[in-house]
Amino acid sequence: MRLRMTVMAGMATLAGSLGLYPLFEKAGWFWAGFGAVLAVAGGGLLARRLRVPALLDLLFGLVALLLYLNLVYASDRAWLVFIPSPDSVHHLGELAGDGWQAANRYAAPVPLLPGIAMLAAAGIGLVAVLVDLLAVRMRRTALAGLPLLAMYSVPAAVREDGVGWFAFGAGALGFLALLMSDAREQVGGWGRTVTTRRRPREVPMAGARPGPGEPVDPPDASALAASGRRIAAGAVAVAVLLPAAVPGLQPRGVFGLGGGSGQGTQTVTTPDPLVSLKRELTRLDDSVVLSYTSSDPEGSGYLRLYALDRFDGDRWTYSPLKSSSKDRVTGDRKLPAPPGLSVAPVHEVTTKVHVRREVRNMTFLPVPYAPSKVSIKGDWRVHPDSLMVYSLRDSAGGRSFTVKSLRAKPTAGQLASAGAYPADIVSHYTAVPKNVPQQIWKLASDVTSGSATALSQAVRLQQWFTVNGGFTYDLSAPAPQHGSDLVDFLLHSKRGYCEQYAAAMALMARILGIPSRVAMGYTPGSEVKPGEWVVHSRDAHAWPELYFEGSGWVRFEPTPAGAAGQGTAVAPGYSQPAVSNGGGQENEAAPSPDSTSPADGATESPGAGAHHRNDEGPGGDATAQDADQGGVSPVPWLAGALLVLLLMGVPMALRMVARRRRWAALIPRPSSSPGPAARTRAQASDPAGAAHAAWREMRADALDHGFDWRASDSPRAAARRLGELLELDAAGARALTRIARAEELARYSRGRVPEPAERLRADVRTVRESFAASVGRRARWRARLLPPSTMAQTRAALRTAADRVLDVTARVNELPSRLRLRFRRR
Amino acid sequence: MAVGTHGESFMETDPPASHSARRGGGGHDGAERDAAGHGLDGLAQVANKIRDAVESVIEGKPAVVRLALTVLLAEGHLLIEDVPGVGKTMLAKALARSIDCSVRRVQFTPDLLPSDITGVSAYNQELREFEFKPGPVFANIVVGDEINRASPKTQSALLECMEERQVTVDGTTYVLEPPFMVISTQNPVEMEGTYPLPEAQRDRFTARISMGYPDPAAEMEMLDTHGEASPLDRLTPVAHAADVRGLIDVVRRQHVSQAVRQYAIDLVSATRRHPELRLGASPRATLHLVRAARAYAALDDRDYVVPDDVQDLAVPVLAHRLLPTAEAQVERRRPEQVVADLVKRLPVPSPGR
Repeated sequence: MRLRMTVMAGMATLAGSLGLYPLFEKAGWFWAGFGAVLAVAGGGLLARRLRVPALLDLLFGLVALLLYLNLVYASDRAWLVFIPSPDSVHHLGELAGDGWQAANRYAAPVPLLPGIAMLAAAGIGLVAVLVDLLAVRMRRTALAGLPLLAMYSVPAAVREDGVGWFAFGAGALGFLALLMSDAREQVGGWGRTVTTRRRPREVPMAGARPGPGEPVDPPDASALAASGRRIAAGAVAVAVLLPAAVPGLQPRGVFGLGGGSGQGTQTVTTPDPLVSLKRELTRLDDSVVLSYTSSDPEGSGYLRLYALDRFDGDRWTYSPLKSSSKDRVTGDRKLPAPPGLSVAPVHEVTTKVHVRREVRNMTFLPVPYAPSKVSIKGDWRVHPDSLMVYSLRDSAGGRSFTVKSLRAKPTAGQLASAGAYPADIVSHYTAVPKNVPQQIWKLASDVTSGSATALSQAVRLQQWFTVNGGFTYDLSAPAPQHGSDLVDFLLHSKRGYCEQYAAAMALMARILGIPSRVAMGYTPGSEVKPGEWVVHSRDAHAWPELYFEGSGWVRFEPTPAGAAGQGTAVAPGYSQPAVSNGGGQENEAAPSPDSTSPADGATESPGAGAHHRNDEGPGGDATAQDADQGGVSPVPWLAGALLVLLLMGVPMALRMVARRRRWAALIPRPSSSPGPAARTRAQASDPAGAAHAAWREMRADALDHGFDWRASDSPRAAARRLGELLELDAAGARALTRIARAEELARYSRGRVPEPAERLRADVRTVRESFAASVGRRARWRARLLPPSTMAQTRAALRTAADRVLDVTARVNELPSRLRLRFRRR
Repeated sequence: MAVGTHGESFMETDPPASHSARRGGGGHDGAERDAAGHGLDGLAQVANKIRDAVESVIEGKPAVVRLALTVLLAEGHLLIEDVPGVGKTMLAKALARSIDCSVRRVQFTPDLLPSDITGVSAYNQELREFEFKPGPVFANIVVGDEINRASPKTQSALLECMEERQVTVDGTTYVLEPPFMVISTQNPVEMEGTYPLPEAQRDRFTARISMGYPDPAAEMEMLDTHGEASPLDRLTPVAHAADVRGLIDVVRRQHVSQAVRQYAIDLVSATRRHPELRLGASPRATLHLVRAARAYAALDDRDYVVPDDVQDLAVPVLAHRLLPTAEAQVERRRPEQVVADLVKRLPVPSPGR
């Protein structure tokens, strides 16, 4: 049995390790982990065979793991192939260090370098040691779920899209199987069950031995297993359904594991670029990210890392990059030509960039648009459409590289007279998700009303964001998570930083039919010496790029620049209405006098960094943020509260309706029965009904006030018991007796007429007062507001339903054994 | 023919005037009709008199006396089971003596024969024919003392009479005159020298009651009264056999509503399904239960039966017919407890919603 548990523990670990698959490029790690689990299980078995204490058990597992790793990864340096020598251990340590570095360098999925494979094997092996110790040795199987969960949480944390259902299901099933076999063993220790609930089994005579042919029954726990299965199914159902039912808990957030995880191993994914943007912007130490020299006499352009071309309704991301080796950039190979750039004047710029060593995980190169040639060591690739330069395994940290780029200088006239967009650009870059609310569509057309050309629309938009839209640059605004945050930014709060501005403008441009995308990277930074620039982490920036045929992708700058905005942001000349003399219609867009001054003022001032540090300090505007969060519309809350009140009122209302209905049928209203004859007839028609009604009413009252009501009590027994529980005065006691006697006569006597309905109704009222008088205040209020008697009916209905369900499940549970019996008979 | 050789003579009062073969049960006289005419009031009057008389002998046991009276009015037979010396025989004799009717007492012993109960045909030399000598069973009230000391053969002779209210000897059937009631006493079956009654025979007794020890006050009073003379000697009949027949007639006309009948059936069938019982109660038990409930209600001066009657009677009427399973026996669960639990759990049928 110990062997069985050991095997189950190993299987559970392996099944849990399946969840790691999105982390690696190839599948070889699994076999490394498999070997580690085998070794650990062997060590555990040996330890238990030797009956060493539990702590030594742990040691045995660790030693087995070490031996295994040593054998696989350092056998050439070990004594006698497998005994670890100092040399081999040192080698293992080096391997581990390499693996650690590699793991930090690459984004998942990482290539399966020996170091990484060893780390994976060691990690899986450690989990196996813990699971083995907890589940098999210490018999704390439930606790063994923690190491398994830790293993599962690695891919869940690293991969933004989480782990697929399959991997999760495999891990969970492995753990469940481990739990089950442990429970089975424990239950089996109590011997076999004699009877099940549904079907008494034959009890073998004492001392009866199974014949030679008959199989010996293992400890039979099927009845318990059946209830275990029921509980498990119930728990899973609750876990799946409850978050969906609780407002505020997004089931997508809880179960968003699926996605397209695990597809092509060469798909490039990084942690959300926009998340890192916010992080960089709010860093306390405004550290230097990179420095560069630019040959551009007109001052450098923006350095772009990413081009986010896809708006999924919530945020901007880039489409998965299908990377292949032909995309590699080499020193002498020219990059693809920038799309759409044909008319605008172009000059070539050479930029020499040095990225600081401290910068980690910069897998996309900051390059000025549009790069035409990149010289850098390592495996760097280019995305032909967006000209993003990225690496699958290298980071730009500490590297220097040279970029030759083509800087377009379109004039406003060229942009205004741009021709029609190519079809592929339109289809790819103007897609707007369906869930973008209508207000934004309306807003976009309102803001740009009267503009004919795409350029004038874009200029209007930028103008609206920077000048007359009433927006405030606020770095403390929360990073937008959902489409609704964007709506809130545009329509209500109007507070945000470059991310919101860029995202909103790109979205509105798409709504207007202008192809757009969001670019992310750095502003030019500060020029420390002529031609030498330094970029700090707070120069991180996002901006929209709009497509104009003939000029290609053109940068716009909706984010306020200068002291009250992104310090080093520069609005390009063509986007300024003041200097744009393009179409005649644009002149009517009256340029405000101060529209250019902040931008100009801050553009090339070396001290800009100092300026914006003050403004964007993390202590910035906490109150504003609070106000924003507190300003959530109260309507849903009010509606919710109203709903809760209504729901709470339901039992009370039901009770009142029930009471009224009971009597209404019996006591004729004076208006409806004018003559005394009719009245007596109505009464005489159903005296038993009146007694029953009084009785039921009193029963409901008793239940409401928390008195026990036994179904096995006859009327007189119930009245006697109530009389003992209550401290009744003489009138109350008489009323109680009368009601009970009326009910008794109505039920059991032949032709005896009980009390008239009016009398009984008065009696019921008297007794109810006695009930109320003899319970506490809480019970009294509960009787009024949440009368339990209304629940009795519901509960009874539920109980029969539950019984039926139990019946069905019991039958289902018996199915396997019945089938087994049938087979055995054959 | 010496029937009464063992112990006391089984004839304690005068034998009834005559027992003729095939005498029908139709001979109702005026007094009987009178009592029937009075209905419940008359019944209560007579019943109270009998009760008072018995209670003057059996002190501090009103419930037991009431049960005994119930069985009498329900045309049933009573089994009194208890340890020796608590007044079983006294109760039987007191009940018998407070009614002016024929009473016979049979002391059951291991060598008692069936013919000692039913009677024999003896050859009359003068008339040169066989003549039937009725046994002690030909009486209105038969007190069978220590019935479980006789052999099963003899027990069954009595039990046949109990169920069919007739005796068949040598092919001739003799109908017993109503009221006919057997009051048997028995010692607990665990005691030495006893043949436990088979289930089939226990089933014929309407109710089994146990006397229980008297409380100290009642015992003290008993010492006082028994000091001088047996109180039984002072007891004089307070009712005629005809009165009792009238009462029985009233009881038969008691109304038992559908709900109560349903309740009785529910209760009895619950014993058949109960996991702790190997043998449940028979349909005869249902009959006895409802019949006893009628009498019980009548004694309570009611002309209809309520479930409370059934509940009160469930243990004495049902418990002695049930056999617990081996597991229940190991757990020392007595059928009495099982029935009491059932009564506590079984819902009383209530009309509609």
